[in-house]
Amino acid sequence: MHEGVSVHRYESSVLDALKKSGKSSLSELVSASGIGRDEVMWALENLKEKGMVSISYEESGRISLSKEGKEYAKDGLPEELLVKNLVKGSLKAADLDGSQRIGLQWGKKLGLIDIDGGMLRLTAEGRRAATAGIAMGDLLRSISKNPDDIRTAMHDGSLLTELSRRGLVEVRKQSVISSVELTGEGRKHVDKEDTDLIEEVDRAVISSGSWKTHGLKKYDVMVDVERQVPAMKHPLKRLIDKLKDAYVGMGYTEISGPAVESSFWVFDSLFVPQDHPARDAQDTFYVSNLKNENFGKLAYVNTVKKAHKKGWHFEWREDIAGQMLLRTHTTSVSSRYLYKIIDALKKNPEDYTLPIKLFSVGRVFRNETVDYRHLADFYQHDGMVIGRNLTLSNLFDELTKLYGSLGVKIKFKPSYFPFVEPGVEFMAYYEGRDEWIELGGAGMIREEITGVSRKKISVLAWGPGLDRTMLIKDRSISNISELYNNGVGWLRSRRVV
Amino acid sequence: MAAQQEGCIAMPVISINRKYLYGLIGKGMDDRKFSEYISKLGFAVEAVGEEDIAVEITANRLDLLDAVGLARTIKNFMHKSRRFHYEIEDEEPALEITVDKSVAAVRPFISAVAAFGVEMSDDLVLNLINFSEKFCETYGRNRRKIAMGFHDLDRIKGPLIYRSAGDIEFAPLGHRSKMKFSKVLETEEKGKQYGGAIRDEVRQFYPALSDSEGPIAFIPILNSERTRITPSTRNVFVDITGVSEYAVNKVTELLAAIFIDLGARTRRVKINYDGKTVLSPVMAKRYMTIPIKRAELEIGVGIGYNNIISLANKMGYEAGMVGNDIRFCIPEYRLDVIDEQDVIEDIAIGYGYEYINPLPIQYSQPGRLETKTEFNRRASDIMIGLGFSECTNSYLTNAQNNFAKAGIEGANAILLKNSNTESITMLRTWLLPSLLGNLGQSGHESMPQGIFEVDLAFEERMGRPVESNRLAFVSVNPKANFNDSKAAVEGLLYALGIDYTVSGSGHKAFIEGRCAKITVGGADVGFFGELHPEVLKNFGIEEAGIALELVLDSLYPKNQT
Repeated sequence: MHEGVSVHRYESSVLDALKKSGKSSLSELVSASGIGRDEVMWALENLKEKGMVSISYEESGRISLSKEGKEYAKDGLPEELLVKNLVKGSLKAADLDGSQRIGLQWGKKLGLIDIDGGMLRLTAEGRRAATAGIAMGDLLRSISKNPDDIRTAMHDGSLLTELSRRGLVEVRKQSVISSVELTGEGRKHVDKEDTDLIEEVDRAVISSGSWKTHGLKKYDVMVDVERQVPAMKHPLKRLIDKLKDAYVGMGYTEISGPAVESSFWVFDSLFVPQDHPARDAQDTFYVSNLKNENFGKLAYVNTVKKAHKKGWHFEWREDIAGQMLLRTHTTSVSSRYLYKIIDALKKNPEDYTLPIKLFSVGRVFRNETVDYRHLADFYQHDGMVIGRNLTLSNLFDELTKLYGSLGVKIKFKPSYFPFVEPGVEFMAYYEGRDEWIELGGAGMIREEITGVSRKKISVLAWGPGLDRTMLIKDRSISNISELYNNGVGWLRSRRVV
Repeated sequence: MAAQQEGCIAMPVISINRKYLYGLIGKGMDDRKFSEYISKLGFAVEAVGEEDIAVEITANRLDLLDAVGLARTIKNFMHKSRRFHYEIEDEEPALEITVDKSVAAVRPFISAVAAFGVEMSDDLVLNLINFSEKFCETYGRNRRKIAMGFHDLDRIKGPLIYRSAGDIEFAPLGHRSKMKFSKVLETEEKGKQYGGAIRDEVRQFYPALSDSEGPIAFIPILNSERTRITPSTRNVFVDITGVSEYAVNKVTELLAAIFIDLGARTRRVKINYDGKTVLSPVMAKRYMTIPIKRAELEIGVGIGYNNIISLANKMGYEAGMVGNDIRFCIPEYRLDVIDEQDVIEDIAIGYGYEYINPLPIQYSQPGRLETKTEFNRRASDIMIGLGFSECTNSYLTNAQNNFAKAGIEGANAILLKNSNTESITMLRTWLLPSLLGNLGQSGHESMPQGIFEVDLAFEERMGRPVESNRLAFVSVNPKANFNDSKAAVEGLLYALGIDYTVSGSGHKAFIEGRCAKITVGGADVGFFGELHPEVLKNFGIEEAGIALELVLDSLYPKNQT
């Protein structure tokens, strides 16, 4: 044992209790230590390991009486009763009842009674027993009084065996601590400890200031404890919060829109031709029990119709545009607001201070074959700036700053989406794989969509997914579908990054 | 706009013989250089194999789905080529096609071009066939919109007639003996592949292009063996059929450009429609005039007159100054250039996105979150403070999980028409089943387990979708009872500053007499209580559980416009 070994609070209590006597029984220890029996046992195990105490064990146990045993303990053994009867007068063997016959059997066996010519008679031993009682009866009565005192009972082992054999008692033995003794090491430790060190800092200690004179006991800081599990925000929601705050920090106003949406706002208003593969049922979820959206007198429908005719050389069909589906991108939200704002700007150009910056975050859907790796719904965000003389270089600046505030470095390359021109794809450096991965699309919204020349109004827009950014930010997540599994073990093993 | 993410809407990927492609581009081309140019143009090399290179092209650039078009674009980009005009050399039509009105109902339009003196090779035959397949699958919408066929012109005994021929016989590609069109649909790979929507029409009309000896093509399925192109073919005939006159004409121009680049002499084909005659391809010149200021303003860089003309050339446009503007000639093979915006993008690509410096927008308005976002955040913070961990579940589910396991009757769900996944048939109508599912798989973790979610649920009302923002929690532990649920609910509502009342209620997911509802401003907004053992069992939960489902929409402050 080296110096400075630390002991747990319970161990310390036990050592304290042992300090004066140096040796103690378990029950004395429990009462002297002021902690529970289980805690004392736990502390003793540890102290034994540390070589501070030695423990002696002894056979122990409990004796319980059977129903018959209890009766005999109260009334006396049958042979005792018979002997007492015989003092009053002799009895005929033939006249004995059941209980008396048992008494006779044991009386003969113990040499207390003889039979002579059909008559019962006490022996000299029997006469003595009539006044002094018999040992077996005494033992039974003593057990009845102190069932735990197995040591006394065991003193005459053969008598106890006899009682057990007669079915009057049952003996259960176990090994128990008989005494605990402080070892040399334990003594050294105890002597070093100030006996008056305060363990528990309670109200009295604080108000009296007693710790100033007594000092405070040290703990074993290396003791293993069970880690506490904090309740936490979901990692994806945390990223969404961070993203939204980044947008707001750059002056964007949050918008939202329906997830169950018409083809019109998801595709047609965004200049996606009506025969575009993205609209195929193979890729997009359509719903079966909703009415088609009716555009009524929405003047914007004519802008859309004209744009499609010009760009795609097809007659645009309102019934196709009215079909309800689960949106495939949140750009439908931007589209709804873009229409509203352009419409308002046309009527009252003074009502708005340009540029207007808007963003939305929401769930989007793909008709994927879902398995443990593939999801059919996930998050996307959309940003949009409506203003005058906005440029591609402005777009690059907004995105670089937005992702910069998330700690993600991005770069740009040309790409194509029907609703933007120029089209942009932006990519992030993914350290985990040492490569640039695609985050999403961006660009300048086509004039066909606004119905207004870019000389008057220009619109920057982007719509990347969130999942890949999540992977870049939290390297402990290997697969995006993990995020939607929500097993309690997984939730509890998250770190806030 | 994330349409191309996660490989869902795949961009076309073409596979081309590297040697052949680099040979077309010219000396000094290698994998590294090719990859560099291709990515500057906005495309990507997907894979480099022993023989072939796989290139991902954006869906607008259909002129790049073959080696000749790709080589042309790279050569322009490297300033190695200056061909900006594609013209039909010989005005005399090479052939005549009569269009019978019997095709009007199924596939009304046809266009064609003839090319003479083509230096055909194994590589070129393969390139043309691959191009045709890829093109008709993508822009052609699996041949619904556009289909094309290459023929050996010398084998055609003109004139041609395009009509609904009925179920007649011909020897299709790969066969010497004749078979009926209906048999082609049943036994031939292409016949089976292009079934679906096309098939019904095809079965009804059997469109065919025929010469005096019979069909040279069963359209849009398969060509005849008789007119097959081979490495020894010198003169080529291409037919393009479809449902859009604009599209068939433009695609023919694109094809003519390929043969012109290959050094062939092209001739038109006369198409006789009922009531009009068209000389195909038209190859009309298209010009767009753009003020240089506009291009500079939209891109956000200063370019200058000389530079902008050089950038235009690099991107395949002939350009010249007209007053203070630049006049661009749109190449015949560019189907995607709709208006000035598309040209400006090409100028930006030519300039190089990597050289466009970010420029800040002048802006000074404060940003703002939606009221509901702020409210939801407060609610989440309180739930976490109460010891519940947050979850994020899919909105998609099925009736078994959403209704049956939770002990309730199915009603008002928004149903999906065409899910590719059997277990996904509808949108969730409430959040609790999602959370119960989460805990059902977590029985081995230590107790207590408390989770919550703040997100959307969906219902159908009068044929319209209704979205609701909700908060739900579930907590399981061996000692959980109704009072615990009430304590948590009251803690949440108090902290949110909601003026509420609680009264006894019934819900099949909960034990009778251990369920209560929450009323705010006279309307019921939620319910909570101790979960029914049957429901717990259905979700595989082995300890007692409490839960809340709360609709948040009416609780949001009403102060935002």
